[in-house]
Amino acid sequence: MFNRETWIEIAHTVTANPLRTALTGLSVGLGIFILVVMQGLGFGLQNGVEQDFADEAKNTIWVRTGTTTLAHRGRQPNRYIELRDEDEERVTEQVVETPAVSGRLSMWGSTVQYKNEQGNYPLMGVEPDFAELDLIPLEGGRWLHQDDVEKESKVCVIGENVINELFKQRSPIGEYIILRGITFRVVGHFAKNGRWGNSMVYIPMTTMQRLFQGNDAIGSMVLSTGDRDLEASTAMVDAIDGDLRLRHAVHPEDQRAVRVRDNQEEYAMFDRIFKGIRLFIWVIGGFTLLAGAIGVANIMAIVVKERTVEIGVRKALGATSGSILSLIVIEAVCLTLISGALGLIAGVATLNYAAPYAQHDYFTDPEVNLRVTVTALVVLVLAGALSGLVPALRAVRIRPIEALRYE
Amino acid sequence: MLALRGIEKAYPLAGGTLPVLKGIDLNIEQGEMVAIMGSSGSGKSTLLNVLGLLDGFDSGGYDLDGVDMSGLSEKQAARYRSLFLGFVFQSFNLISFKTAVENVALPLFYQKVPRRERQKRAMEMLGKMGMDDRADHLPSELSGGQKQRVAIARALITEPRVILADEPTGALDSSTSQDVVSVLREVNGSGITVIIVTHEADIAAKCDRTIRLHDGVIIEDGRSGDVVEPTANGAGSTD
Ligand SMILES: Nc1ncnc2c1ncn2[C@@H]1O[C@H](COP(=O)(O)OP(=O)(O)OP(=O)(O)O)[C@@H](O)[C@H]1O
Ligand SMILES: [Mg+2]
Repeated sequence: MFNRETWIEIAHTVTANPLRTALTGLSVGLGIFILVVMQGLGFGLQNGVEQDFADEAKNTIWVRTGTTTLAHRGRQPNRYIELRDEDEERVTEQVVETPAVSGRLSMWGSTVQYKNEQGNYPLMGVEPDFAELDLIPLEGGRWLHQDDVEKESKVCVIGENVINELFKQRSPIGEYIILRGITFRVVGHFAKNGRWGNSMVYIPMTTMQRLFQGNDAIGSMVLSTGDRDLEASTAMVDAIDGDLRLRHAVHPEDQRAVRVRDNQEEYAMFDRIFKGIRLFIWVIGGFTLLAGAIGVANIMAIVVKERTVEIGVRKALGATSGSILSLIVIEAVCLTLISGALGLIAGVATLNYAAPYAQHDYFTDPEVNLRVTVTALVVLVLAGALSGLVPALRAVRIRPIEALRYE
Repeated sequence: MLALRGIEKAYPLAGGTLPVLKGIDLNIEQGEMVAIMGSSGSGKSTLLNVLGLLDGFDSGGYDLDGVDMSGLSEKQAARYRSLFLGFVFQSFNLISFKTAVENVALPLFYQKVPRRERQKRAMEMLGKMGMDDRADHLPSELSGGQKQRVAIARALITEPRVILADEPTGALDSSTSQDVVSVLREVNGSGITVIIVTHEADIAAKCDRTIRLHDGVIIEDGRSGDVVEPTANGAGSTD
């Protein structure tokens, strides 16, 4: 089947009419190219969003507050809703049960000094649970303890950027740095993805409140949903949201004053979206490929028609139906496979070339995964075989006498 | 070797059928060289196609080498063709993108002969046709006579018992025609039956026996020299 003769004949068909071959190939190649590039972009988008999610534990609820936009129960709008210790206590003791919780009180652009070096970094007061809620990968030393919170210790855990810029490669553990004019001991350091993550300086919440805040505000609040499923975590969100609106007299429709966001739900939403996008891409790619396959089928039909006499002569000379069938099918498969492979290569090259220019928070590493590539190739071979089959069956039905009479 | 008994064949036509062979009785022995003549439309090609198992017939009987050929499937016909028969066409029907030697070797490819042997036998056969110096030429680079020699070589490569040639010289000038007939005569000399459809009396004269068809029936059958000049016959028919 795959011998020199067959290849010569294929080479002949392909080169007999280069323009026609090129145009047919183009339609298949373009189909695969579009499929590959769109898949790659889809993965890039997904990677970006997933990385964004990977920065935080998926089973977390984030509670933020702002100013009211609607009047409610006799209160005017434009009132700032501030979360305080009592909110955290009440929510975790009376409203919902959670295995982990932390406030997040930040001060951006805080001056940090180490010996002669100094820089501005965001300072954040958190509780011990925060490390697991925000997935902070400790590189050395230790994280903040409950003990630190109770004693309002002046200790901090710093990000990689702070080390690089202030400590210049030296180990920061046990060193003293000055935060907003007050001396803290570095007890741990970490490395995290993202722009801000690595520049963070974490200190105990109580220390933050006492030294820099002056009251018991906790900024925002993160809670773990534990091993709750999506439905249960949504119920948890509703409970927290309802409680806070009730306590702070916030209108149920007020979108700004109280915002409770469920990572799990958002992730599920993104997951659904990406499943949809992937399906969409396959459908588009599938139709593009189908158009290509029809093009190939069309060309093969023309080839069969043009070669009717030749096929008849071959039959008169002893060609079997099988040999005619395989000849046409192999030609079609070769045509689709070669042009498809070119489209594939072009697609991969485009993604690889474009990837470095297209890095964004929500778009990283647009990749061509192996599964898509293999699937695309299998689809191509099938499309080629199918598109060759119909004309080939017609060729097989040609009787030698009819072919010889053909004009 | 070839025996036709009361062969009838009609082509379906809009609103009826067109009878083309109307009861052909014919015996051809192994080693004969036969010319089939007759006016245009008399059914020569149809008869040759029936003999060559390229086409079926409606009624009558056909024995090839003592085997009944009626009601053959396409596949069986193909088998007998490749076993017994070789074809030479008026328009040569060489495959345009294959060289002379590749064209000659093609039937062996379908008989699953190994490549090297195909090549060797095809070269030998071209040599017998005096064409070995043109082995690597494409058909477009050959003259009409040369093309027909290649086609004859291709028909002979499978060592058939019968060569069927439909107007093999129809596209050639007269001296080249004589040339091609000489080749066929030589082929016949090696014991192969040769059946030639032709319009030309001097081609028929080179054969042992001439059969004349008129309107689907054999009107003359005899030694080539004895058959009357073709122009005298066929007049008055409206086919
Ligand atoms: N496929 C066909 N369908 C219908 N009629 C046909 C077909 N082939 C041949 N005929 C008719 O059958 C008759 C005999 O045709 P055939 O080709 O056998 O003639 P011929 O003797 O070979 O003529 P020529 O010398 O011109 O080649 C003609 O009238 C022709 O029109
Ligand atoms: Mg004819």
